[in-house]
Amino acid sequence: MKFSTGFALRAFLAGVVAAAAIALPGLFAAAQQIDMNVVDQPGYQPTPEEEQLSGAYERQVVFFRTTEAPGTIVIDTSQRFLYLIEPNNRAIRYGIGVGRQGFQWQGIQKISRKQEWPDWRPPPEMIERQPYLPRFMAGGPGNPMGARALYLGQTVYRIHGTNQPQTIGHAVSSGCFRLVNEDVIDLFDRVPVGTKVLIRQAISVS
Amino acid sequence: MDTLGRRSGLAPVGLAALLFAGLLVGCATEPPPPAPVAAPSFSIDELVGKWGLAAYHRDTDRDRTVKEAKAQCGKPVVINKGPTGGVMMYLADNPQIQEVVLKVAPDGTTYLGPPGDAGTADDRIVSQVGPDTFTTVWVDPDNAARYGTMVYERCGKKS
Repeated sequence: MKFSTGFALRAFLAGVVAAAAIALPGLFAAAQQIDMNVVDQPGYQPTPEEEQLSGAYERQVVFFRTTEAPGTIVIDTSQRFLYLIEPNNRAIRYGIGVGRQGFQWQGIQKISRKQEWPDWRPPPEMIERQPYLPRFMAGGPGNPMGARALYLGQTVYRIHGTNQPQTIGHAVSSGCFRLVNEDVIDLFDRVPVGTKVLIRQAISVS
Repeated sequence: MDTLGRRSGLAPVGLAALLFAGLLVGCATEPPPPAPVAAPSFSIDELVGKWGLAAYHRDTDRDRTVKEAKAQCGKPVVINKGPTGGVMMYLADNPQIQEVVLKVAPDGTTYLGPPGDAGTADDRIVSQVGPDTFTTVWVDPDNAARYGTMVYERCGKKS
């Protein structure tokens, strides 16, 4: 299996970060700032065990005080969380992967389109680095875009799935927000086109 | 005489049987003759040019993948002639371009890969070859699963 060494190393590093988060909460914020040097793995199909998140990045209902209406999505890029606001100061929190340094952004968007098993087109810099890649890969298992995509307005950015669950909690993308496939399917089924999406570098959760 | 006559009559048959048996034993110890290798049904020069490259995993996606391959000529894959008669292409997960040749297995399957035996892990199976299109699938099961079926569509006119 190609990439297995790299994958094991990344999984180990993710484990170290997770362990540090539990044991040394004060260091967690600093640890999160470590960007992963991840090469995309087009076609790689993670096992169900690899896709099972644990700890903070596992999907869970949390207390979340906000003036935003229920149904709104709030993305906290610094903490690597996506919140779907629910009534009564609650939110469903998902662990996400975000844009690497230089590729992070903030703003207000609306979901303009929803797509099951989206296609994938590697960006030019990736083709330059990996010239053997196809310039287009039809959607399906193993596609780096994962099982679902939520397009953000007219931007090139999306909330989408991934075939690299080990990247959740890290800054790895070109500005998109990635969830494990099970989570993006869950979110996809909960939100309609037109949903408001707030992208913030940091939010205060009281 | 009658008995002698029968013996005389049987002797040549027994000798022939021994010779035949000897031949059989001789055949069994000879290495099998090399399987005839057919020439590829197309020239490797047909692959030289600029190509749009797209991939799919589900057969139902083939038609639209072909269209997508044609649309990828803004960032084409360029295949040039190699120094020893092959063409220069990338292998899976290797950014170092190298020379590959056409190879035909005894079962008629055409492979594209480094010089040597047909059907090795670095090879790809070539199919659906036309003047302006060809399709490949990696022999290595891991590569085949990750990259799927790759469609090449020629950009512009064949030179």
